[in-house]
Amino acid sequence: MSADRRRRLERDALSLLEAIAVRAEAGRRLQGDSGRAVLRSVVEATAALFDAEAASIALYDAASDRLVFEVAAGVQGQGVIGLSISPDQGIAGYVFRTGQALALSDVERDPRFGRAVAEQTAYLPRSIVAVPLVSDERTIGVLEVLDKRSAASFSLRDIELAAIFARQAATAISATRVERDVASLIASSLRALAAGEEPRTAAAEAIVAAATADLGRDDESGLWALADAIARVRTADPAQLELVTDILDALGRRAGRDTRRRRRARPGSDAGEVR
Amino acid sequence: MTDLDLPAWSEPFVGQRRAELEHLGPFGVLDRDAAFGGSDGSGVRVAIIDSGIERDHAAVGGRLIASYRVEPTDEDPIVVEDPEAIDVVGHGTACAGIIHSLAPGAELISVRVLGPDNRGKGANFAAGLIWAIEHGVTVVNLSLSSRSEALFGLFHELTDEAYFGNVLLVSAANNVPGPSYPSLFSSVVSVAAHDVPDPWTWYYNPRPPVEFGAHGLDVDVAWRDGGRTVATGNSFAAPHVAGLAALIRAGHPAATPFEVKAMLAATANR
Repeated sequence: MSADRRRRLERDALSLLEAIAVRAEAGRRLQGDSGRAVLRSVVEATAALFDAEAASIALYDAASDRLVFEVAAGVQGQGVIGLSISPDQGIAGYVFRTGQALALSDVERDPRFGRAVAEQTAYLPRSIVAVPLVSDERTIGVLEVLDKRSAASFSLRDIELAAIFARQAATAISATRVERDVASLIASSLRALAAGEEPRTAAAEAIVAAATADLGRDDESGLWALADAIARVRTADPAQLELVTDILDALGRRAGRDTRRRRRARPGSDAGEVR
Repeated sequence: MTDLDLPAWSEPFVGQRRAELEHLGPFGVLDRDAAFGGSDGSGVRVAIIDSGIERDHAAVGGRLIASYRVEPTDEDPIVVEDPEAIDVVGHGTACAGIIHSLAPGAELISVRVLGPDNRGKGANFAAGLIWAIEHGVTVVNLSLSSRSEALFGLFHELTDEAYFGNVLLVSAANNVPGPSYPSLFSSVVSVAAHDVPDPWTWYYNPRPPVEFGAHGLDVDVAWRDGGRTVATGNSFAAPHVAGLAALIRAGHPAATPFEVKAMLAATANR
C-alpha cells in the first residue's frame, strides 16, 4: 500500500471516529448522566413504595476499596450522598460481601451500628433493610431502605420487594457501564491514532487499513473491529505490539502475494483462493 | 409476588400458602420426642462460617471453643487461628447465639471469612468451608453464599465431600436472583425464613430447592460489642435449623446427614 493511500485511510478512520465521538458526547449531554438519573428514580420509587424515610444506593469502587453512596431519596437520605464506607463493616458491608439480604429493626439497640455513618449524616435510623445489587453474578453495590413509616420493621415480603428494585438498579448500572465503555473505547482509539508514537502509529496504520477496507461491505463489524483492535493495541506491551506488527506485516505481504496470484489466475480457476 | 418471576423462597412458608406444604411422608412414627428428647447438643461441634463470633458475648454462653479466620495469600487463602475472636459485623455472633439457644451443649467454632480483603471473597468462603469439613465438625452453618460461576464446580465438590464425610451443611437460601452456591445444592439443608415468631416452628417444603422454613422474621439476636438487635432474613432462619440438627446429631450419633435431614422433615410442623 502506498504511503499516500495509507495516510488517506488513516484520516478517513480518524474523522469517522471523531464523528461518532461527537454524537456520543452530544447524546450524553442531552440526556444528562443517564445512569445516575435512573438510579435516582429507582431510589425515589423505592422510598415512595415503602413509604420510607429514606432510600439509598451505594456502589463498590474498586480503586478506593470503598462502598460509595451514589444516590439517595427522602429528606433524611440526602446527607449520605457522597459518603463512603469500608466494605467489610456494618450492614451494607455484610450484604455487599455475602450477597445475603437482611433487615434490622431495632437498630438503636446495636451499640455501634453505623454510628459513625449516622453521625456524619445526622440521621440514625430505627430500621433498615439492605439488599445486594447483582450484575453478571457479581455484587456491585447495596440498596438500603430506612425507616418504613407504617411499621416498626420490614417484613419478608419487603426484602423481596427491595430485591426487585435492586434488580432494576443493577440493570441500569450495567447499561450505563456499557455506554461508558463504548465512549472510552472511542476516546482511547482517537488518542492512539493521534498520538503519533512511532511503533503504535505503524501498528494503528496497518489496522486502520485492514479494517477500513471492509467498511463498505460490512459497516458494523468493520467499524467495531477497528475500534476494538485499536483499543487493544493501545494497551499492549512493547513485546506484544512487536508481535502484532510482525503478524500484520506478514499478512500484508501475503495479501499482496494473493492479489498478484489472483490476477494471474484464469477466471473460473480456484487457484489462488487461499482465503 | 409469584407473577414477578422471583425466587421468593420464603413464600411457601408464609401465611395461607403453608397449607400447601401438607405432605404425607413415610415417617409417621417419628415424633419430636424421639428426634430431640433429652438432647442439648452435647458432644456435637458446630462451625459457623461467617463474620466471626464474639467469644465473650453472653448469648454464646462460653461455648465458643475455637476461632479461626481465612487469610488471603498470593496463592490460595489459608485458615489461621484468630485468638482475638472478634466479629467484624455482628452477624456471626447472631447466628452463634441462635444455635446456642437451641443446643446449649454444642461446642461452637468460628471460621471468619469476612475481613479487610475484598478480592476472592468466594475463594475465602470456600477455604473456610474446606477447613470445617476437614476438622471434625458435624454441623456447619452457612448464612452466606457465593455467586461466582467459576466456583460452581468447587462448591459442588465440597458439598459432596461434606455429605459423604458425614458433615451436615445448613445453608441460608438467597433471595436475590442468580446463582447462589452452595445453598441450592441438593446435598445441603437449605433454609428460608417464615413469619411465625417461634424457634420451635419449622416447615418442610416437598417442592425444593428450598426445603425448610424456620424463624427468620424479627428475630431477637445477639450483635457486636455485646449488643443485641432485631433482625430479619434467611440468614437467621438457617441457624435455627443448624441448632435443631445439632440436637439430632447429639441424640443420634449414627445418623448420617441424609437421615438428619429426613428427621428434620419428619418432625416439621404440619
